Amino acid sequence: MRCSKRKLISPYIDGELNENKRSLLESHLTGCRECAQELEELKKIHMLLSSAEPFEVPHGFPTRVLANIRSIEQKRSNDFVHIFKRLTEGFAVLVLIVVGIILGSFLSKPLAPEKGNVVVSLSLDIFAPAPPDSVGGVYLAMTEAENEK
Amino acid sequence: MVNANKSDDLSLISRFKTGDISAFEEILLRHQDKIYNLCRRMLGNSHDAEDATQDVFLKAYQNINKFKPEASLYTWLFRIAVNTCIDYKREPFFESLFKSSKEGDVFVVDSPTGSPSPDRLYESKQISDAIQLTLSRLPVKLRAVIVLKEIEGLSYEEIAEVLDVSIGTVKSRISRARDDLKEVLKKFREQK
Repeated sequence: MRCSKRKLISPYIDGELNENKRSLLESHLTGCRECAQELEELKKIHMLLSSAEPFEVPHGFPTRVLANIRSIEQKRSNDFVHIFKRLTEGFAVLVLIVVGIILGSFLSKPLAPEKGNVVVSLSLDIFAPAPPDSVGGVYLAMTEAENEK
Repeated sequence: MVNANKSDDLSLISRFKTGDISAFEEILLRHQDKIYNLCRRMLGNSHDAEDATQDVFLKAYQNINKFKPEASLYTWLFRIAVNTCIDYKREPFFESLFKSSKEGDVFVVDSPTGSPSPDRLYESKQISDAIQLTLSRLPVKLRAVIVLKEIEGLSYEEIAEVLDVSIGTVKSRISRARDDLKEVLKKFREQK
């Protein structure tokens, strides 16, 4: 069965105990062999790890990071220009199509025949009168006589 | 001192947000050592640590608008670093970190440079190897708390902020990490 005060040892080493708990543990350690041993072991680990010498950042590291960032920014800028060009082209095509539709609707209106003029446009009155001694003139004279009957 | 540093960091961030790249360069120079050391301790070798550290600062550059002014810049950077290292370690390639040798499995470690003498260098290398070997045996989340506490010297509150967990969780993880480290060191002693 582990001593109940054992869980205080780790924060005690880290200086994270309040004054009351610290005093409580320190007086406990004088009488508890298990906790005293635990404290010694954790102190050794603490000394080993805190003696770790810091590593030096590799030579030229900041230069490489900044070069990398510039490269990303450049790529981002190129991508933006490319997308902008594509959008502009697409927009220009769309404008042309719309203008074409509008112009088309204006130009097509005069070609539509007016009501009532269909018969006139198709009647023979648009042709010049046929000479009386021509085949056409004779035919017309015969049909007019027939109509009068 | 901490408040002055925080104020300086916030001023640099404000300048950077207005497009001043030199402000980011200053942030990089100010924090690169701590971030690199964290990544080095988490990942175990200089190559991976440099890659991860680069990733950290690239992410910081791209996400600076997500930084909340009430937090401190270095805990924010540490958070990015821890998450980057945890994700890094999920890569299958990383399993090749443990290489077999005639003596058995060894952890690829790089030692601090600049030792003045061969004896000192040897001792330094021994200590460095011992530290890295013990850390390598820890699950990655426990390694993160131990490195932040024992090596970087952050308080429980700062660690909680970095990891976005409660202080109770930090205490629990540190305690578990130390229990694991005790077992690791015990096995090393038994092997000798």
